[in-house]
Amino acid sequence: MITVDSAGADGTPLPRRIPRSSIRGRLTATLLGFGMVALATCALAPLVGTTPISLTRALDPAIPFEQNVDAQIFFVARLPRVLAGALVGSALAAAGVVFQAMLRNPLATPFTLGVSAGASLGAMLVIVFGGALTFGSFSTVPAASLAGAAAATAVVYWLATRHGHAISTSVLLLAGVTLNSFLSAIIMFVQYLADFAQVYRAARWIMGDLDIGGYDTLIASLPLVIAAFALFAWLPSSLNLLSVDKDAAAARGVDVPRAQRLAFFSASLATSAAVSLAGPIGFVGIVVPHLVRLLVGVDHRIVLPASALFGAAFLVACDLVARTILSPVEIPVGIVTAMIGGPFFLWLLVRKS
Amino acid sequence: MASRTQKLIALVAVALAVFLLGTSLAQSREGGAGPGRIVSLVPAITEMLFAIGAGPQVVAVSSYDEFPAEVKALPKVGALLDPDTERILALRPDLVVVYGSQSDLQTQLERAHLRTFSYRHGGIATTLGTIRDIGVATGHRKESSDLVSSLQARLDAVRDRVKGRTRPRVVLVFERQAGTLREVYASGGVGFLHEMLDVAGGTNVFADVARESVQPSIETLLARAPDVILEVRASGLIEKTGADDADAWSALSSVPAVKNRRVHLLRGDYLVVPGPRLAMATEAFARALHPETFK
Amino acid sequence: MFLIADRVSYTYNRRTGVEAVKALRDISVGIDRGSFTGVIGPNGCGKTTLLKLLAGVHTPDSGSISLDGRPLPTMSKRYVARRIAVVPQETHPAFEYTVLEMALMGRHPHLGPFQLEGPADLAIAGEALAATGTSHLAERSYMSLSGGEKQRVIIASALTQSPEVLLLDEPTASLDLGYQLEVGLLLRRLNRERSATMVMATHDLNLAASLCDTLVLMRNGRVLASGNTADVLTSAMVRQLYDVEADVRVHELAGHLTVVPLGRLS
Repeated sequence: MITVDSAGADGTPLPRRIPRSSIRGRLTATLLGFGMVALATCALAPLVGTTPISLTRALDPAIPFEQNVDAQIFFVARLPRVLAGALVGSALAAAGVVFQAMLRNPLATPFTLGVSAGASLGAMLVIVFGGALTFGSFSTVPAASLAGAAAATAVVYWLATRHGHAISTSVLLLAGVTLNSFLSAIIMFVQYLADFAQVYRAARWIMGDLDIGGYDTLIASLPLVIAAFALFAWLPSSLNLLSVDKDAAAARGVDVPRAQRLAFFSASLATSAAVSLAGPIGFVGIVVPHLVRLLVGVDHRIVLPASALFGAAFLVACDLVARTILSPVEIPVGIVTAMIGGPFFLWLLVRKS
Repeated sequence: MASRTQKLIALVAVALAVFLLGTSLAQSREGGAGPGRIVSLVPAITEMLFAIGAGPQVVAVSSYDEFPAEVKALPKVGALLDPDTERILALRPDLVVVYGSQSDLQTQLERAHLRTFSYRHGGIATTLGTIRDIGVATGHRKESSDLVSSLQARLDAVRDRVKGRTRPRVVLVFERQAGTLREVYASGGVGFLHEMLDVAGGTNVFADVARESVQPSIETLLARAPDVILEVRASGLIEKTGADDADAWSALSSVPAVKNRRVHLLRGDYLVVPGPRLAMATEAFARALHPETFK
Repeated sequence: MFLIADRVSYTYNRRTGVEAVKALRDISVGIDRGSFTGVIGPNGCGKTTLLKLLAGVHTPDSGSISLDGRPLPTMSKRYVARRIAVVPQETHPAFEYTVLEMALMGRHPHLGPFQLEGPADLAIAGEALAATGTSHLAERSYMSLSGGEKQRVIIASALTQSPEVLLLDEPTASLDLGYQLEVGLLLRRLNRERSATMVMATHDLNLAASLCDTLVLMRNGRVLASGNTADVLTSAMVRQLYDVEADVRVHELAGHLTVVPLGRLS
């Protein structure tokens, strides 16, 4: 075993500096900090809105629920919305981090590989051709978009692993981008066949909507997101090594094909769940990881959990703006995230050059 | 050499011939017999055409036309986004009914020396005015005038019926994601749905919104607390499912409409087409809002 | 023989068949423990591929690689990584890691799946940086360094793996003369004082002559010759390898063989 003493080439001792940075400390501090931000945002957001409500009245058990408008606004309108925002925001932000590391490209988003296009096509097909199909009290749009996302994921994976178990990231990227274009063309065609109302509904779905009005779809999506995050937990140090060099990672003990598969499927799962719940809300998956990296550095063991927490806070805040700024009209949340994301990227570009 | 009598008769005959020829020419210039072949891209106007007796003159309709039953047999030539200009021209129409926003199409048709009738979307007054205008354009002035009067009379009758009754606060929903309360679209304070609601004795909770449609959030629906929820759907797939998915509203139990079970689902495309059946639609609204006046 | 490649072949893009390149053709190489082996040959001869196979990064299409008598596939990748480290020719990270973060990545095979680096790991990294003269760069972004500095950081990150075998691919390629000497001395010290087994692929014949006791000469995916440096490094061999006429003799002052190219063979 090679151990190195701090002696120079000719044997004379070199000044030794044991680096002080303790990742354990930084990780704890970051998680605490971002965790508090996320918690505070999620706790305060249901209290704010176009209609003033009184928290004491909302939580008053003496008033029957059917007569307590404040409670209904809090529990039926706002709370599910905030929870959905937190779930979707953290899922998209984390998926963004994983895709960026896996594809070795800071400009990758959760939607780069066609998952959200598949989800959109699924939703669109139901909106145009499925009409009023329901399964009990569940609308089929979320289920169909989940199916579409799963199908797109499978197709991209199949294309990228045609020749061997290792995923070639360049082939993956190519397959994903191609599938994106192809699915977008089909979506346009489906919209062309639709009538006005359906086209409008489809366009509106694409802008994102967190107003789920109940806990059913949230509870349905929860296992998927939890599963994705459980898989995410295994990734960060592999992501560090993979994002430096694939072969170097293998030489350092990373099972590269397995890590790539894990990254691809977990991030696709998180994206699928998020998009089927609330539509393809853009920019969260790219703005949040970049912002977080500016604040905490690039070590994925910190960036991944921090992005999940910050993503939750970010989307909840964006939705808050979306539903209050032009009251009583609500802006789709995807527009707010885009309005923030666009200038942010311009600023990043300017800063870098 | 003709006698004076013969000359007189010839003169009268020529004068008569000229006169008859002249009037028949004048008539056709005026369109007195009306355009023989009409193509309509606007379903509302198709209905109007059939209602004023111009049905036999209609040779083609839009892809979305469904009423009256006669249109099912007619060729379809596209709609707002995809009018099939070639097909329209091939049908050699005398009058083409187009949307006001289809400026390219209008230019093309004018170049082919075809008459166009431009449709304007609007409230009740606009709709009635359009019936009158299309009557003039198609040589059915009297029928259209009669139709307008009868519709006006029916609307007035509804107004009288509900006069003096308390006007419930209504949200008029025309679209939402089936089975859920997501993507609810309701009528704003502008447009024929809003006006029909007004005639039928209801107050639109979104009367303050200066647009035809509003997409209210769950919070807004809870805050506005309507007394009645009136859902209108064009016929079609809804009928196939059979299930009345008004259950979705039960989540908003503090809303008076839900508490008092005043959630009504009305089906039929007559409800959403601003045409001759708007009086029928208004009566349907009134029946739902003030059932006691219809005993 | 400690690290053995036994009749290995490897073809890139074998499964796709598109642009398939047969990089190694049925070659056998044996590395003694504690030796310093140089792998020499013209561009495209398969040096880099050989190193990757020896490290277990790729699996040979035929034949096997074994470490200490055990075939690589029988051992976990992490275990192999704790014993063999690679210094690649080029590294282009996708994100702006600091020098310290790059160095600490070498600790990966020693840590459990959820384990974070502790003080011991930090100390090892610190020593590795010091040994390569890059301590002062610890908090700098790796991408902002000069070519030579980057190379030394990569060597440091291989050293933090605390391996018994170090595979180096052109380790002095971007270094100036001074740092070439320093790194060379460092490698020799590691080899002599710590019994580290070194395998170095290089174009620099004089460097190889000064450091290596054993040479493997490769051309077109085959081994042309292997053995003691003194026996193998001859002008006849240089002629065969590079089509270059060269004078090969022991330099009085340097104390080892030197190669002076005289002209290209037509």
